[in-house]
Amino acid sequence: MNKKVLGLVPLAIFILLSVFLYQGLFGNPREIQTGRLGHTMPAFSLPDLMDEQTTWTDKDLQGDVYLLNVWGTWCPTCLAELGYLTELKDKGVKIVGLYYDQAYDPDFGDKFDVVALREEVNNMLGRAGNPYAFNILDLNRSLALDLGVSGAPETFLVDKAGKILVHHTGDMNTRVWRTKFAPAIQELTL
Amino acid sequence: MKKLIFCFGLLISAINAYAIEDKYHFDSVEREQTFKELTHELRCPKCQNQNIADSDAVVAKDLRDKVLTLVHEGKSKDEVIDYMIDRYGYFVHYQPPVTPLTILLWVLPGLIVALGFGFIVVRQRKSAQVQPWTDADETKLAALIAKYEQREQQ
Repeated sequence: MNKKVLGLVPLAIFILLSVFLYQGLFGNPREIQTGRLGHTMPAFSLPDLMDEQTTWTDKDLQGDVYLLNVWGTWCPTCLAELGYLTELKDKGVKIVGLYYDQAYDPDFGDKFDVVALREEVNNMLGRAGNPYAFNILDLNRSLALDLGVSGAPETFLVDKAGKILVHHTGDMNTRVWRTKFAPAIQELTL
Repeated sequence: MKKLIFCFGLLISAINAYAIEDKYHFDSVEREQTFKELTHELRCPKCQNQNIADSDAVVAKDLRDKVLTLVHEGKSKDEVIDYMIDRYGYFVHYQPPVTPLTILLWVLPGLIVALGFGFIVVRQRKSAQVQPWTDADETKLAALIAKYEQREQQ
């Protein structure tokens, strides 16, 4: 009897290993841990995308629960999620855009043309919907680096005290909202 | 011809690689070394499995520039790595930290080898045991032989 049980041990190990590896097949490798989760928004002072006279700092954002959406006109997935984000805005969610310029690289002698960019942005938001309360222009991607942003689109959920509750990499949709963002917001209001 | 084009391509990519390295200037060999080590040890958060020295992703370039700035400021290797882990999580460093979960990764293979080895030793010992030959065994053997011979004759 004892020997029979012992003989089943390799089988048990094999099954456990199979389950573990099988699960790995469906994991999302993009879903990486970020260092900023649970910390407060890093300090920054950046111009508004549409009006360089206006400067936004981390203090301006405090006091509200909001989504910080990292995006750019060059990014097709950002275009795809604009519709859903606009729906969220219509439901009363405050969404702040962090404009992530991918092309700009002064090392290669790039000149930044803010007028052309504004036109491009207006074009895209006019077509696909404008979910943003305002957009912060992060030309050097310094705030993006401080937030641990690796590309666009990425979305953060920030609470009233400026604490980052969710960091989502990839597009925003009903499923993501329901599974990741809604529970975190629910916890806030309780 | 195809080979020639391939070689040419290789040459261009090699020149390109040099150009990237040359872009940076350092006040000391030590700092240059630190920079080189860091860009090879830090992992690009966008491209999954390239270090930031190899990757062309925008974020890898930004991280390279940041590493450069931090090294110029005189930050040590560990300080730069901590800075990056603060922002991008443990993923950004190729060397995983020792946590209860990662300890399992180190210990488990050793444990399995030890168990397997122990199993072999136990088996070996068992089979090496000298079993005494008794009179009872002798009669049993004789009976078996007799039975066998009987069957042969039939």
